[in-house]
Amino acid sequence: MRLALAIASFVVLIVHGVVFYDQFFYRWERHQTAYFEQARSLSKNPRERAELEGRVPHIEQVIVSSFGDTHVDRCVTCHLASDDPRFAGFAEPLKTHPYSAALGDVQRNGHWERRHKFSDFGCTVCHGGQGRGLDNFHSHGEDEFWPDPLLGYVTQPNWRKDFEPHLKGKEYMEAACAQCHTDPDFAGTPHVTRGRKLFYAMNCYGCHKIDGMSEGTLGPDLTEAGKKFKIDYLWESIVEPRANLDTSFMPNFHLGDEDVKALVIFLKSRRGVNFAETSLDRYKAHIANVAVVIPPGTAGDKAGEQLLADRACTACHKLRDRDGGIAPDLSYEGLVRDDAWLMDHFKNPRSRIPDSIMPTFRFPEDDFQRLSAFLETLKTPPAPANPAATYKELCERCHGEKGDGHGKVAWYIDPSPRDFTKEGFMASKPRERFVASIKEGVPGTSMPPWGRALKDDQVDGVLSYVLKTFAKIDAPSPKNHNVPDRNPVETSAASIARGERTFLDRCTGCHGRKADGKGPNSLDIFPHPRNLRNSWFVNKVEDRRLFDSILYGVQGTAMPSWIDYGLSKEDAGDIINFVRSLNPQRSALHAGN
Amino acid sequence: MSTAPEIKAQASPHSGGAWNTLKELPSNVWSSIFRNPLPSTDLERASTSFTNFFLHLHPVKVHRNTLRPIYTLGLGLISLFLFLILAVTGVLLMFYYVPSTTQAYDRMLDLRGTVAFGIFLRNMHRWSAHGMVAMVFLHMCRVFLTGAYKKPREFNWVIGVLLLLVTLFLSFTGYLLPWDQLAFWAITVGTSIAAYAPLIGKQMQFVLLGDTTVGQEALLRFYVLHVAVLPSVLVLLAAIHFWRIRKDGGLSRPEPRETVPAAPPKPLVYKKVVYGLQGFVRGPFTKVGNVPDDSVYSWPNLLMAELFVLVLTISVILVVSLLFNAPLEQPVNVMHPPNPAKAPWYFLGLQEMVSYSAFWGGIGIPGLMVGLLLAVPYLDRNPKGVGRWFAKERLLANTLFLTLVTLNIIFIIIGTFFRGPNWTFVSPF
Repeated sequence: MRLALAIASFVVLIVHGVVFYDQFFYRWERHQTAYFEQARSLSKNPRERAELEGRVPHIEQVIVSSFGDTHVDRCVTCHLASDDPRFAGFAEPLKTHPYSAALGDVQRNGHWERRHKFSDFGCTVCHGGQGRGLDNFHSHGEDEFWPDPLLGYVTQPNWRKDFEPHLKGKEYMEAACAQCHTDPDFAGTPHVTRGRKLFYAMNCYGCHKIDGMSEGTLGPDLTEAGKKFKIDYLWESIVEPRANLDTSFMPNFHLGDEDVKALVIFLKSRRGVNFAETSLDRYKAHIANVAVVIPPGTAGDKAGEQLLADRACTACHKLRDRDGGIAPDLSYEGLVRDDAWLMDHFKNPRSRIPDSIMPTFRFPEDDFQRLSAFLETLKTPPAPANPAATYKELCERCHGEKGDGHGKVAWYIDPSPRDFTKEGFMASKPRERFVASIKEGVPGTSMPPWGRALKDDQVDGVLSYVLKTFAKIDAPSPKNHNVPDRNPVETSAASIARGERTFLDRCTGCHGRKADGKGPNSLDIFPHPRNLRNSWFVNKVEDRRLFDSILYGVQGTAMPSWIDYGLSKEDAGDIINFVRSLNPQRSALHAGN
Repeated sequence: MSTAPEIKAQASPHSGGAWNTLKELPSNVWSSIFRNPLPSTDLERASTSFTNFFLHLHPVKVHRNTLRPIYTLGLGLISLFLFLILAVTGVLLMFYYVPSTTQAYDRMLDLRGTVAFGIFLRNMHRWSAHGMVAMVFLHMCRVFLTGAYKKPREFNWVIGVLLLLVTLFLSFTGYLLPWDQLAFWAITVGTSIAAYAPLIGKQMQFVLLGDTTVGQEALLRFYVLHVAVLPSVLVLLAAIHFWRIRKDGGLSRPEPRETVPAAPPKPLVYKKVVYGLQGFVRGPFTKVGNVPDDSVYSWPNLLMAELFVLVLTISVILVVSLLFNAPLEQPVNVMHPPNPAKAPWYFLGLQEMVSYSAFWGGIGIPGLMVGLLLAVPYLDRNPKGVGRWFAKERLLANTLFLTLVTLNIIFIIIGTFFRGPNWTFVSPF
């Protein structure tokens, strides 16, 4: 017992020794001692030498109160020589901070004078890092939890190794310069300027909001991106948009490293309130309606084609050999869409396809016309030899190689492309409907009218191919249900009210309370429930089909046969009146289709 | 019985004047503080324990069983010493800490980077806190598995369960104070579990947080609870806990093994009724000669054992604090919850159960368990099997208890190591 006690006490003693050693022999003390010695040998002034003789190491700090919240920078504890010009040739940490005319430093009587005095600015305002620490690891921000590592100098251990070489360089500090120097063309921050231009040129503004700069809502708000995210994350989000979120639909813009760097630096400079503005300025920017003005592209013969390349359309769409893999193929756009449709769709994509994710871009009217004019020239019909090739060329991108509706871009398209392998559906609808869908397209969706690109026999061939290959049936065998051609229930306020009640009782679980197809169950249902506010679609569909779908269900989907759940024809008629009342006939728009 | 040793000091001759006064000063001071010299006889040993303020918590003599390390494992004592370490380091940390959302994290950085011994203090406090939760829990398991909660120690078990709850709550309130992401989200998760309680859940959460979300009010409340309210409650309960150990006849031990049963207490027949303090003492008047004496003097036997546990506890905490730094994650970012956000490890079993059913996992089952723990000594009235590990007579009780404990530990392990983003099952390997 006594021996054990002695051993344990000895351990306590040893640990105390180690702890005390740690506490009294700091690296910064060694740096300071080295500085005192070097300065003494460099000094020509006996008084200064005597003073240096008497100095003992102690913690030095700058308290910075002019830039944001008051903070403490103890960096000068190690970097003691940063303002001592005699140490220009020494190694860090005992190295003079370089003087630079570009930073505004001036030489007077052979002595440099700093524009950004350390006593006013401290260190972390420009460099980042953690001012309170006294060891390399923590004060330089090498600890993976610290939000602002030294800009351009330090990469954290959990950052991606393949990005690391890109993330070093003093140009990253421009993000800090831009906190005060907010002029868009400020000469000292060329990367911020370039990044800001790219933000517009690459259409980032279409999806992302930055207070006072843009008001896109599809992607995350980037107003405080520089405060929230580290440069490693920003870099990754631009070059590999899906790396952090599998479901992200941000395209990969395939930018060069210099462009990515400029964007990262620009985004790093977005920190909400910067030092140059008041919180009132920030609030005004926050509530302002931003009218993004994109400078027009150059005119000329190839203007439209050039614009299509410059404005990064193929970051999402496909044209010839360039394919963003997110949005439909534009190769036959001139055949399947006319000028009016294109112009409507450009100005507001949701005016033609209500659930489209395409952002509303703020190009000048002329540019839209040029783009439209160029797309209208894409009128060369496909010339595939057989139905299989036609399917591959025109249908596969959405409907998928296996015909299961999981094509390359299907995830981004709402309503989802039809799954042809659902035999229940494919067998229960008349062949004429399929032919019509292919030839005339499905209004309000991404299915274009292929009848304008394919001959009737080609359409027939593709349909037979689809039925045989994917649905594995020879021909559909629809049951002839006893449903009226036209809604026998008179449209009236009373009928609409009855329809709404029934709808709220029975349909909202999937179709949603707004009838927009986004009910609580909708996420787990494939195909997703129909958006019943898609007027293009709803107005096209005849009463007969609505009756059939409501009363007898849609085979191969989650839509049940409501006649089995006690709905009568009259109930269905009321629901149809209600749904129709949500979708006013837009005859003028219809005419343009 | 306490008179003999003092005479020695007084026996020195009163002559020699100032010089002698000076010469005897040290021994006079010493003997005025310590009434006994280092004891060399049994009488002195008894007297030392009896007359010393700190030692008189101990009985003069303790049963040999009390000193068997394998019986107690020293768990209660370790818990006490950890609490003392926590109190000392906690007070020192208080000199540097400000319970303010704008300053707390900066103070943590100062403790880590600039304050002398700051990080070491914080490490000791952190690891002792985790250790105390674990040790108190294990102490409870020890007491259950040796059947030590049985008559007459029922109420001390109840106090022990309350002490466990106070310890958990102390650790939980301390968890928020660094004001980093880990703290913020752990407390957000923890207090959300409390909100699942029926009827008063939301109100309870509101009173705890002083707000609907974790913020400045919550930080202040947790701070006051952590440094003032809960430690006081714990000290009070612990004092009662220790006092009752004495009053309940020392630590539990098996019934004497002798084939000859101990002599039945003599019927007390008095000519006239005598009231005396001894009337309150349980059992026969004088134990001397009536009970087979299997006890040893507290000094030095018990004290040595305690000292050893103390030094061992301190050395383990010191080594651990030297090797591992207490975590400090990002400053609080209310908009960016980590995925997954996890409660402190001792509540991860709860969080895991909450992921199956909010009410049952967060309130129903834990409430039932605590209720069951509190009621155990009143439900299990079988007097057999006291003072032995895994006594055969207690097979059912021990099995039930171990099953519940194991289940809880399994849930904690799953919650800690096997849960990834969105609380999906991941393999840590």
